[in-house]
Amino acid sequence: MTGLDIFGLTDVGRVRAGNEDHFVIASIRKSVTISQSSLTPAETERWQGGGAEAVLLAVADGVGGRPGGELASGAVVTGLLGYVGRAAGCYQQFSLEEEHQFLERLEQTVRDTHEELLRVHGESEKAPATTLTLAVLVGRRAYLIHVGDTRAYYLRGTRLRQITRDQTIGEYMMDVGAWTEAQAAKASAAKSLASAIGGSELTPSVGLIDLEPGDTLLLCSDGLNKHGDVEALAAVLGKPSTAEAQARELVALALAGGGTDNVTALVARIS
Amino acid sequence: MIQKKICMVGVFGAGKTCLVQQYVHSLFSTKYHSTVGVKIDRKTVALDGTDLTLLLWDLAGRDDAGDIAVSYLRGGHGIIYVVDGTRRETFEQIFELRTIVTKAIGEVPSVLALNKVDLTESWALQPADDAALAREPWKVIRTSAKTGEGVEASFAWLAKATLTGATQ
Repeated sequence: MTGLDIFGLTDVGRVRAGNEDHFVIASIRKSVTISQSSLTPAETERWQGGGAEAVLLAVADGVGGRPGGELASGAVVTGLLGYVGRAAGCYQQFSLEEEHQFLERLEQTVRDTHEELLRVHGESEKAPATTLTLAVLVGRRAYLIHVGDTRAYYLRGTRLRQITRDQTIGEYMMDVGAWTEAQAAKASAAKSLASAIGGSELTPSVGLIDLEPGDTLLLCSDGLNKHGDVEALAAVLGKPSTAEAQARELVALALAGGGTDNVTALVARIS
Repeated sequence: MIQKKICMVGVFGAGKTCLVQQYVHSLFSTKYHSTVGVKIDRKTVALDGTDLTLLLWDLAGRDDAGDIAVSYLRGGHGIIYVVDGTRRETFEQIFELRTIVTKAIGEVPSVLALNKVDLTESWALQPADDAALAREPWKVIRTSAKTGEGVEASFAWLAKATLTGATQ
C-alpha cells in the first residue's frame, strides 16, 4: 500500500445554522491472524494483517434549501461504508473484469441510496438530496465516483487540477450547446444541480487516476472552492506540511473568505 | 455479458471526450474540458444477437505536462486513436502514440478517427497524408463529434473487430 497521510475536517461556516456536509475516511482491511504455525514467517507473512488494502475518502454535501440535506449526505456515506466493507479482500490484484465490477458496484451503491431516498421521501424539490465525491485508493490508483458540485482535485508539483466536473445546470446547458459561457455566467440557475442523489436526475460520473509519490488529492465541498480559487488552494497544498495542517488551513481560508456555506476538506498526501 | 475495454488515445484537444459524449449521450459541447486521469463510460451494443458492453476509457490527452499513462492501457481490447484534422501536429504525433500503445499492450484492433471533418475550411491534412495512414494497421474513419458523422461507425466497427480480431 502506498504511504498515505490523510486528514479530513468539516465546519458549519459562518452563516448556516447547521452543517449538512458529511465526510468519511476509512481504511479497509481484511486480515488473518495466525496464532501458531509450522510454516516459516516468510510463508505466512502475506496472510497476516497489516496495512490497509484500500482507503475510502468521501465528501457529501446535502443540497441547500431542502430539509433533510444532512440526512441525505449521511445516508450516502453510510451506504458506501457498507459496500467497501463488504468488498474487503477483493482489492488486491484486480483483473480487468474485477476492476470494472468493483466500479459498477460502487456506482450501484450510490444508485441504491438514490432509490432509497426517493422511495422514502418521494421525488420533489423538498425531498432530501445530496452531492457526493468519493475516491477509493488502491495502491496508487484512485477510483472516483462523482455526483453534483463537490469536487476532487490533485496536486502534482505546483499544478493543481480539478479532476471532477461540476454537474450543474450551467455546465449541462453548455454541454448541449444551449448556453454560451457568458450566458451561463449570468444565469441565476447556472449553479443549481443537474444531478444529485435523491434529486430528480442522477448521472454519476466514473473515473480513475493513477497518483504518484508526492501527489496530493483533495476532496471538498463547494463551501471551500467558492472562497478559494485554484491558485489559493494550490498555495496551501504545495506547502511542506501535514495533511492535517493543510486541511485546517483550507477550512480557515474558507472561513476567512466569509464562510458562507458549510465547508469540508479532505487531504490525502501520497508518499 | 461480454465486456471489451476501448481506450481513446490522442493529443489533448483532439476530440476524444466529444466523440465519446456523442456516441454515448448524443451530446456535443463546444466548451473544451481537459480530461484529467480517465473518464469511464459504458455502452451496450447488440452484435449478431450478442450483447457486448463497451467500457470506454477516455484517457487524458498527451500535452506539455506529460505523455499518456501506459498503466491506463492495461487490458485494452481496442484503441480509437483520434486526430484533429485541423491541427497537423495531432496527426504527426499519432504515430508515436501508436508506438507507445503497441509497446504497452501489443497489437489490438484500432480505429484512426480523423476528427472535426465538419471544419473543411480549416482542414490541415494533405492527400499524401492518407498514404501514411494507410501503412498502419488501423481502420481510418472520418468523424465529426459535432455532426455525428462517422461516430457510430467507428465504435461499431471496433466493437465487432474486438470480437473477430480484424485489423482493417
